[in-house]
Amino acid sequence: MKQINIILMLVSIILGLQLGYSQETFPRNDVLDNREDAFAFIHATIITDPETKLENATLIIKNGKIENVGPGIPIPKGYTTIDLKGKYIYPSFIDLNTNYGIPEQERQRRGGGFGAAEQIQSATRGAYNANEAIKAQYNASEEFAIDSKSAGAMRKNGFGTVLTYKSDGISRGTSALVTLGEESVNGSLLMNQAAAHYSLTKGSSQQNYPGSMMGFIALLRQTYLDAEWFSSQSPRPFADQTLEAWINSQKLPQVFDAGNWLNVLRADKIGDEFGVKYIITSGGDDYQRINDIKSTKSSLIVPVNFPDAYDVDDPIDAEKVSYADMKHWELAPTNPGVLEKNGIIFSITSAGAGDDFLTNIRTAIHYGLSENAALKALTTVPAMLLNAQNSVGKIKSGMVANFLITSDEIFKDKMIIHENWVQGKPYKLKPLNTHDYSGVYSLNIGGTVYQLEISGEPGSQKSKVILDDSTSIDAKSKFDNDLLTLGIKLQKDAKEEIRLSGWKTANGWKGTGQEVNGDWVNWEASRDGDVKANDKGKRGDKEAKENTDLVGNTIFPFVAFGRKELPKQENILIKNATVWTNEADGILTNTDVLLKDGKIAQIGKSINADGTLTIDGSGKHLTSGIIDEHTHIGGGGNDRATNSSMVRIGDQLNSEQISIYRTLAGGVTAAQVLHGSANPVGGQSALIKLRWGESPENLKIKGADEFIKFALGENVKRSSSNQSIRYPQSRMGVEQVYMDGFSNALEYEKAWKNYNTLNATTKATAIKPRRDLVDEAMLEIINGKRFITCHSYVQSEINMLMELAESFNFRVNTFTHILEGYKVADKMKEHGAAASTFSDWWNYKWEVRYAIPYNAAILQREGVLTAINSDDANMGRRLNQEAAKTIKYGNISEEDAWKMVTLNPAKMLHLDKQMGSVKVGKDADVVLWTDHPLSVYARAEKTIIDGKIYFDIIEDQKLRDEMRMERARIIQKMKDSKKKGGKMQRPNSESHFDFHCDDDYDLGNFINQKN
Amino acid sequence: MKNYILGLLLLANSTAYLNAQVPIPVKAQEKSIMLVGGTAHIGDGTVIANSAIGFEKGKLTFVGSATLFSNDNNKYTVLDVKGKHVYPGLILPNSQLGLVEVSSFKATDDMSETGTFNPNVRSQIAYNTDSENIATMRFNGILLTETTPTGGIISGLSSVMELEGWNWEDATHSVDIAMHMNWPAKNTRSFDFATFTVKESPNKNYDKEVGEIAKILADATAYMAVSDKKMNLKLDKMQGLLDGSTILMLHASDAKEIIEGVNLLKENGVQKIVVVAGADALYVSEFLKDNDIAVVLPPVHSLPSRDDEDIDLPYRLPYLLTEAGITVGLSHDGMLANARNLPFYAGTASAYGMTKEDALKTVTSNTAKILGIDDRVGSLEVGKDATLFVSEGDALDIRTNILTHAFISGKGVKLDNKQQELYHRFSNKYGHTIDK
Repeated sequence: MKQINIILMLVSIILGLQLGYSQETFPRNDVLDNREDAFAFIHATIITDPETKLENATLIIKNGKIENVGPGIPIPKGYTTIDLKGKYIYPSFIDLNTNYGIPEQERQRRGGGFGAAEQIQSATRGAYNANEAIKAQYNASEEFAIDSKSAGAMRKNGFGTVLTYKSDGISRGTSALVTLGEESVNGSLLMNQAAAHYSLTKGSSQQNYPGSMMGFIALLRQTYLDAEWFSSQSPRPFADQTLEAWINSQKLPQVFDAGNWLNVLRADKIGDEFGVKYIITSGGDDYQRINDIKSTKSSLIVPVNFPDAYDVDDPIDAEKVSYADMKHWELAPTNPGVLEKNGIIFSITSAGAGDDFLTNIRTAIHYGLSENAALKALTTVPAMLLNAQNSVGKIKSGMVANFLITSDEIFKDKMIIHENWVQGKPYKLKPLNTHDYSGVYSLNIGGTVYQLEISGEPGSQKSKVILDDSTSIDAKSKFDNDLLTLGIKLQKDAKEEIRLSGWKTANGWKGTGQEVNGDWVNWEASRDGDVKANDKGKRGDKEAKENTDLVGNTIFPFVAFGRKELPKQENILIKNATVWTNEADGILTNTDVLLKDGKIAQIGKSINADGTLTIDGSGKHLTSGIIDEHTHIGGGGNDRATNSSMVRIGDQLNSEQISIYRTLAGGVTAAQVLHGSANPVGGQSALIKLRWGESPENLKIKGADEFIKFALGENVKRSSSNQSIRYPQSRMGVEQVYMDGFSNALEYEKAWKNYNTLNATTKATAIKPRRDLVDEAMLEIINGKRFITCHSYVQSEINMLMELAESFNFRVNTFTHILEGYKVADKMKEHGAAASTFSDWWNYKWEVRYAIPYNAAILQREGVLTAINSDDANMGRRLNQEAAKTIKYGNISEEDAWKMVTLNPAKMLHLDKQMGSVKVGKDADVVLWTDHPLSVYARAEKTIIDGKIYFDIIEDQKLRDEMRMERARIIQKMKDSKKKGGKMQRPNSESHFDFHCDDDYDLGNFINQKN
Repeated sequence: MKNYILGLLLLANSTAYLNAQVPIPVKAQEKSIMLVGGTAHIGDGTVIANSAIGFEKGKLTFVGSATLFSNDNNKYTVLDVKGKHVYPGLILPNSQLGLVEVSSFKATDDMSETGTFNPNVRSQIAYNTDSENIATMRFNGILLTETTPTGGIISGLSSVMELEGWNWEDATHSVDIAMHMNWPAKNTRSFDFATFTVKESPNKNYDKEVGEIAKILADATAYMAVSDKKMNLKLDKMQGLLDGSTILMLHASDAKEIIEGVNLLKENGVQKIVVVAGADALYVSEFLKDNDIAVVLPPVHSLPSRDDEDIDLPYRLPYLLTEAGITVGLSHDGMLANARNLPFYAGTASAYGMTKEDALKTVTSNTAKILGIDDRVGSLEVGKDATLFVSEGDALDIRTNILTHAFISGKGVKLDNKQQELYHRFSNKYGHTIDK
C-alpha cells in the first residue's frame, strides 16, 4: 500500500513538472518552474527522412521543437548531451486512422428488436441535419482527451503523431492531428479540423433511412447536392449547422474510411461525381483488385492487420474456413508491397495490428515492400497527405521534436525502440544501455561451487545452473540495474530453492542469501567465459522466413471458384447440336453455331471455321442464355425509406458472391438485380451479365435501359411487423405514395423549367432549385427514361398501379411476381404491361392464397409478355426447370416455355436486340445443355457470355481440384505457423446473407432465432 | 331463404362448390381395380413394362406383367394405362403439411408447442384435412406424409398421414411413429448488419443443453423401471424410444453434432435413430453406416451451405450418401407449398448420379423404411396398401409428371383442386381453349 502511494506520488510529481511548463494561462499550484528541455543527441545515426541518412550526427532540440540536425554541428551551452553512439534516430511514425482519445459513441439499444417502430426523423438535438448519419458538425478536438493507455501502446509501436476522428456516421465531421504526448490536451493538439471524414457505415444512427450500402451512397450524394444548394443562398433557407460545417470542411483533406476494395471503388466513384479526391482507408485487400484500385488514382491509408492463422488441426473444423479467408491469410502480407509496385501512394495505419504492428511491417517487407516505402508510408506520406509536412514526419529544424531512438535500423528483426520522444519529451521504453551479463560463472555458495550460465538477449536474460553436460536446472533470475535476484534449486528434484540477492562486481557478482533452512549465507560468482553458441532456433515470429516465399495467386473473384485469369474471348464453333433459336426457325437439329468476336456469327449446317475452338454438340442442346428478370444475387438489398427511388443497386453490386457462379452454372447469362420490396418505391436496378470474375462495373450491361423496382402489398405496408409506424400501412396509402411521388416530380420538373428559362440577369439573382435525387428518378419514369418492375400480388393493387400510371401518361413496364395476374390478364394486355412470375409459389403469406401455377399460362394465352423469374440465389440455378412447370401446369408449348426464361425476359428488359435468342448478330450468350433444356435431367455444360466460356462443367472439376490442393497447401503452412508459436484463431465460417423479396421476413426470423 | 338459393347454385355448379372447400374426400374402395399396360415403377429399383397392377379393398392384390393377368369373372374393373407410368405413392417425411396453412399467419400455424422438451406433443390430432395445401401435393403424386412438429429440443411425436380423408382419424396411417429432436447447435450464428454477413461463434449453452437431453433420457429409463408410479406425460411418451417402438429423428446439421448426438442417444438406450442432416453427413458416412443409421435429407434444391462446397453438392448428396451405403430419404423444408416438388428433387438427384429407379426409392421405399412403415407402403407389392398413382410420363420430370389417377388405400382420390378450378374459371373468362 505504502509502495503504491509512493509510486503515485512520483507519477504526479513527474506529470506536475511537465504540466508546469509552457501553458502560462493555466493556473499553477507551485512556484514557477519553466525549463527549456534542451537536449543534444550526439554520435547517432540519424535518418532525417526516408532518403537521408546522417552518420555520427547530432540532433538538437529545445522546447519540443527540433533546432538543428547534422553531422559536426556545435552544441550550444545549456543543453543536456546524450551520447547515442551506435544508436539510430528516426522520425516517429504518423497514423492517420485512429480514434485516439475520442470516446466511443454510445449506441442506443433499439427497443423491440427487429420489426420495431421505425425512427423516421433524426434524433439529434439541435439544429442539425435531417439525417442523423450526417454528422459533419462533429469536431474531434472538442472531445479529445489524453488516453495514457492507448498513447503508450501506440508509442511502443513507434508512433508519435496521430490523426484522430470519431468512427460514427456516414459523414463523420472533422478530425484532429495530435501527438501522443501526455502533457496536456492543448499541447498535444497540433491541428484542429485536420481533415473531414466519411464512411459507408451508418454508425449509431437509428434512423430508418438509409439502411443499405446503396442508401449510404445515395445519402452522401444528396448531401453534396444539398450543401451546394444551401451554400448558394444568402441568407440560408433554414438553419442547418451540419450543412454549414460540411461546407466549411470541404477545403480540408477528405478522408474516406472504405474498409475493403469494393468500398474503395465506390468511394472513388462518389468522389468523381462531386470533384473530390478522397484519401481512402482501405481494408488491406487491395491486392485482390489492384488494377481497379490503381485506376482510382487515390491515395490510400492501408492497414497491416494481417489475419492470424486458423487452427486447422481438425480437418472437419477446418472446412469452416473459406477458401477466400485462407488465401487472404496468405496474401494479406503482400498487400503493401503490391501497392508499392503499382505506384500507389499510401500511408500505413496500425489499426487492428496491435502489438504485432512492427512484426507485421517486417512481414510486409519480407513479402515485397521496400524498407524505404515502409518508412515513407509511416512518416512523410501521411504528413504530406494531411498538409502537415512542415511540422511532422521528418527530422528537420523547426519541426516538432517527434523521434525515435532505436538500437538498429528501424525494420531490422531485433531492433529495439529505446525511447520515443514526443514534442521533446522522452517516453522511455527500453533502457539505452542494457547490460549484457551473459557468460559462464563459477557460483560459490558458502563454499560449494556450481556452474551458472546467464544467456539471452540483453534486457531479457535468463540463467540456469549446469549440473553436467546433459542436465541443467533453470534458475529464476531478475536483473535490475546491476542488482540480481536468483532463486535456485540445487538438485534436480528439489522442491525448495535457495534465494540469493547480489550486486555486480568487476568480474561477476557478490551477495548474500538465505538457504532452504533459513540460514543466511554469502555467495559469489566469478565470470569464467562466454556462453557456448547455441544453434537451436528461437521460436519463430508469426512467419518463419524459409518457406514463406511461395504464395498463391490472387484469384478473380476472390472467393471459391475464382480463377487466376479471366476467361478470354474466343471464336467458338459448336457442331451438330440441337439449337433452340427462339426465332422463326424454331428448334434446329444437327446444327452448327459459330461465335465470333463475342457475337453469334453464323448458324447452319457444316460450318467450317479454321482456328476456332470447336465443341462437339452432338446429342446436346444449344440455347441462348437464360435471363432472370428478377434476382437479388450480386448485390441486391433493401433500403427502407417509403420512397427510395434514389438508391441504386448498381452502387452496391458485389462481384465476389458465389451465387453468381452457381447461377451461371444453371445456364443463366444475364439478370436484373433488384431492390427488395420493403417500400412502395424501391430502388434503381442493375442489369448485369454474369461475367464471373469481372469487377462490379464490368458486370453491368453497358447502354441498357434504366429500371426501377416498385412494390405493392403486404411487404410495403409492413404486414410482418406489428409495431411498424412507417407510411403506408394500407393499400390505400400505397396509392397515395405514388400520387405524391409523381405529383412532386412534375412540380420539380416545372420548377427547373422555370429556372432554366429565366434570362441571364434574373437567373443570376434567382434561387436555383434544389436537385433532388428522389424527384429526378420519379420524373424519369414519367418521361419514359426509366421503367418500372413492380412486385405485386393481388388484382386490386395491380389495377390501381396501371390506372395511376395511365393518369400520369406512362405505362408500367413489368409486374413481377404478379401472382394474381391471371385475374387481370386482359387489363394488363391492354395496358401493355409484361408479367414476370414465379412458376408455382403460393400460400406463404395471405396475399398469395389465390396464386396458381397456371398464372404464366393464362397470361401468355391472353397475350401478355410473360416470363418466369427466380427472386433468389437458389431458384436462379434451375430456371430451366421452372420454365418446364408451365408445361406441366397449363400445357404451354416447349418453345414458348423456353422463351419464358430467355427471349421474353430479354424483351421486358429491352435487351432483345442483343440477347434472348440464337440469332446472327446477337451477343454470343449461349448455353450448351447435356439434355433437353426443359428436362429435370439437363445440366448446363458450358455457359458462354460474349464468346467467353464463363462456366464449363469440366473446368469446374478442375477448379475444385485446384481449390482442394491450394487449401491443403495453405493448411500445411498454417500448421507450420502454429508449430512456430504464431497466433491462431478458431476456424470460423462467415457467409453472405442471400437476399430475396421477403428478406425482411427471413431476416426477422434469423435474428429472433439467434436469441 | 338466401342460404337455400346459394345451396342450389352450388349444386348446379360443382366447380364453384370446389372453390369453397377442398376436394371432396371419397369413399373406401368398393370395386377392385386393375391398371393394365402401364410401365410400373415398383419402388424397389425394378420396373415392369406392360404391367398389371391390381388392388381390392385398399390392398394390392396383383403386381406383375400384363401378360400374366387374366380378368376371370370380370373381378377387376380394368383401367387401360398403356403408355403411362405407375408409381407407388410418394412419401413426404418431416413435413408440417396439415399443421400450417399460411406460415406468416400465426393463427394458421400449429407447427410447434412452446417449451424445450415436448416428447408428449402429438401432431396427429392437429393434422387439418381441410388444409388447401394437401390436394396440391396429391396432384404431383405425394400421397403420404409424416406430419411433424417442430421447435424446442424435443419437438414431439410425428404420425404418418394419408393425403385423403374427412378428418384426421380418417387420414391417419401410422400413429406417433417418431419423436423429433433438434440437437443443440455447437455454434450459434449471428448476423452482422454492417456487412450483411452471418458469423459463427461457439454456443456457450451447448454442454448444458446436451446435459439436459442426457438427463431426460436417464429419467425416462428410471421411470420405466418403476411399476407403481404417478403419470408423467413426458417420460411416458419417451418409453417408445427405449423399447424401440418409436423412432428418434435426430436433427443435426454439423458433422460433430451428428456423432455426439448419436453416441449420447445410444448410450442412453435409444433403440432406433434416424438422422435428419445435410451435407455434413458425408464427413461421417462411415460412422452412420457402422451404426446403421439412415438419413433424411433437406431439399435437394438447397444451396450449398458454404461458399467452398461443390456447387452441385446438394444435388449430388443423395447419390453420394447412397454410394456410401446409407439409406437416404428426401424431404422438404422452407416454404411448405413447395413440398409438392418432392418428385423433382428425386429427378434432380437422378440428373446428378443416381439411376431414376434409385432416385425413386428416395421418395418411396427408402422413406417407408426410414419411417418403419415399409410393411405397408413404399413399393408396389402384393399385400401392401394400394397407395399409388398413374402419370402420363416420367413422374420425376416436371414436364411429364401429369397424374391421371391416384389411389390412396385403394380410394381413387380427386386430383383437381382450387388451383385447377381457378385455372378453368379464368381461362373461361378469357375464352381460352385449354386441353385439360
